[in-house]
Amino acid sequence: MKYQSQAVAKPYFIAAIGLFVGQIVFGLIMGLQYVVGDFLFPAIPFNVARMVHTNLLIVWLLFGFMGAAYYLIPEESERELYSPKLAMLMFWIFLIAGALTILGYLFVPYAKLAEMTGNDLLATMGREFLEQPLPTKVGIVIVALAMLFNLSMTVLRGRKTAINLVMLLGLWGLAIFFLFSFYNPANLVKDKFYWWWVVHLWVEGVWELIMGAMLAFVLIKVTGVDREVIEKWLYVIIAMALITGLIGMGHHYYWIGTPSYWQWWGSVFSALEPIPFFMMTLFAFNMVNRRRREHPNKAAVLWALGTGVMAFLGAGVWGFLHTLAPVNFYTHGSQITAAHGHMAFYGAYVMVVITMISYTMPLMRGRAANSKTAQVVEMWSFWLMTVAMVFITLFLTAAGVLQIWLQRIAAEPMGFMAAQDQVALFYWMREISGLVFFVGLVLYITSFFIKGKEAPAG
Amino acid sequence: MSGVPARASPAVQAEALYLINLLLVPGLAFLLLLLLFRRHRNSTDPLVRGHVRQTVAASLLAGLLLAGGPALMVLTGDLSRPGVWIGLVLYFVCCHGTLVLLGVFGLARALAGKPAAYPLLERYA
Repeated sequence: MKYQSQAVAKPYFIAAIGLFVGQIVFGLIMGLQYVVGDFLFPAIPFNVARMVHTNLLIVWLLFGFMGAAYYLIPEESERELYSPKLAMLMFWIFLIAGALTILGYLFVPYAKLAEMTGNDLLATMGREFLEQPLPTKVGIVIVALAMLFNLSMTVLRGRKTAINLVMLLGLWGLAIFFLFSFYNPANLVKDKFYWWWVVHLWVEGVWELIMGAMLAFVLIKVTGVDREVIEKWLYVIIAMALITGLIGMGHHYYWIGTPSYWQWWGSVFSALEPIPFFMMTLFAFNMVNRRRREHPNKAAVLWALGTGVMAFLGAGVWGFLHTLAPVNFYTHGSQITAAHGHMAFYGAYVMVVITMISYTMPLMRGRAANSKTAQVVEMWSFWLMTVAMVFITLFLTAAGVLQIWLQRIAAEPMGFMAAQDQVALFYWMREISGLVFFVGLVLYITSFFIKGKEAPAG
Repeated sequence: MSGVPARASPAVQAEALYLINLLLVPGLAFLLLLLLFRRHRNSTDPLVRGHVRQTVAASLLAGLLLAGGPALMVLTGDLSRPGVWIGLVLYFVCCHGTLVLLGVFGLARALAGKPAAYPLLERYA
């Protein structure tokens, strides 16, 4: 670790991993509720479990991105962070606000929570992924702005590189597009139209910039390949991500009451969306093949390569599977979407955050890499979680195809709940895969506590 | 095999054509790959020879897997049964995705000036 202030990343990463555990626990609860409908009812109804599962995902990834930014930007800018105290203050504000929000979901009926938190003043709640009460949303904006001030001042006073500028651009985009969560028009079409400006323009827009910057940073460190080679790749990748991702948003506008030209725009541009993910895979493998040094942190290299592959499969292949309008006419809102969502989030964002944690945590603990034993355990966790996620995706895809057939193609179409009964076998198999994923996650956490001969910090 | 080959190296071209055949213009890209194969299959550079031979063989295998597998399912299965569609969709997506990933690995190796071997085709290099 070159700069003392980079250490503020550590609590962000620890909180991220803690919340990741919570996300998976609620995923398992919800997975079981798919097949045992009254499991934990009425203590944790399905809609609450789902809200906690998805909100924890978003919050822990944000913690991961912030931690990554606080580590990466000082090093790239070649100077200490503008204000480590501000970063720590924001950490505690975000953690307390996040925890209170989750406790609110779990212990207060949602309508009551809305009433208690001022939803009558400015109605923003009740929408998928944006369920957070108004004070939490305001808190997210404050935390994001303070972080952006802190990071921007660091970059402005230090060295400007493609990596820190792309990272900063991605984080600014994240904050700006989140502002659309405060816009909640009464017209349902307009509501959904702008809802996607947060959801889509995050995950298929600005988050890809953050992902590209993080991957490029780690690849420079672990391969020793020239910065200019890696930065050229990064420029092309983020250009492709934005060109395809911005208009590719049209694939959400097929059936929500928007003009029909979106079926063409959405189909054409979102069919191109796998390109940046394809390039990221090529980029990661090319850099590792051209490496000039054998970095002792082999686990971080594995996570970096895995990010490329799984992002390409989850976001690229499974995204393309249902993105063309004539196909989406049948697959819309089915388990095919869930299959894509699971693998894409894991491949693109979970894995890149873990790549960053895997590379930086040993450095923040005073060594270049963890002991061999710890790395073996970490690599086992990589394979368990990754293979489990592949199977979760395959079982959900199978469930989706059957669901579509039964609900939308069969001569006598079934109702939603009747079709759900018929795909229960796949849900059971998904749940078992989820348990394997959880074992992988436990192993991952265990790897932090394994001692042994460690590679000294360089 | 020292250093990084030029972008226009036949090894890189072969891997790129393998991927284009799978992703953009199937058939036409394969014909171009065959032309490249005719010219370079006995190249004195083992890197070029290996990539050109491997990609042609892998393309033929890919054609067999992507056309033959689904054809077999369609001919022997009952398309009015959803189970056949589940098998078809999963088979095609997994098979195609794997073949593309192998091509990406091959292209990354070619760009780095290193040989690549597709699984089951190591001997044909």
